[in-house]
Amino acid sequence: MQTRVLFFGKLKELTGAAEQSVELRSGATIADLFDRFSNETPALASYRSSVVASRNQEFAPWSTVLEPGDEIAFLPPVSGG
Amino acid sequence: MSLSAHDDLITLGRDPIAPDALIRHVRQAHDGAVVTFDGCVRNHSHGRATFYLEYEAYESMALEKMREIAASLHTLFAIDSVAIAHRLGRLEIGETSVFIAVSAPHRKAAFEACRHAIDTLKKTVPIWKKEFFEDGAVWADGELPPVPAATPAVKPAS
Repeated sequence: MQTRVLFFGKLKELTGAAEQSVELRSGATIADLFDRFSNETPALASYRSSVVASRNQEFAPWSTVLEPGDEIAFLPPVSGG
Repeated sequence: MSLSAHDDLITLGRDPIAPDALIRHVRQAHDGAVVTFDGCVRNHSHGRATFYLEYEAYESMALEKMREIAASLHTLFAIDSVAIAHRLGRLEIGETSVFIAVSAPHRKAAFEACRHAIDTLKKTVPIWKKEFFEDGAVWADGELPPVPAATPAVKPAS
């Protein structure tokens, strides 16, 4: 299952890429996806409690099960305005 | 740029914001008040001199969240129309980063709606600000947007 993953702000700097495409097993959750990137980039793990995720541009809980073609983004605390 | 059913004007872009145009957009003959918020780039942060700011956004989601804010203002307050513009990219000291204009027949609703709009924007719209100082740069402290609770596997008894 192909999933498009976006990183912003500090998270983009840590992973070194704004956008990646990953192959996931069916039934994987947003938390599984974050864990996978944390394995590749250990510094990410310490940001877990100050990150929210979105699925197809709506804020989504970590337990959300991914569907094929989803666009997932990991978002640090927002600071617009 | 998009127009909603209420003739609201919601924009996110790199060009300088033109407050006069936003005010003209919301101000109609049946309005008695236009309240505006001008968010501008401050020359200091946590006691350090700021050189400039850079804003980035999850642009499609940010626009949608800004539209949701405008739509919610119409349900919460007796207002006429709303304009919200947020700027991205490098902004110099004194420039406008966000501008909100709300028109209403009476001032109370316009004041309350404008305040609600900026407070909600700062909590829910995926935009990030990086502050550049003489000796480096940091992502500004922000707010973690509220996330809906996970859907329970079993519907709780009512």
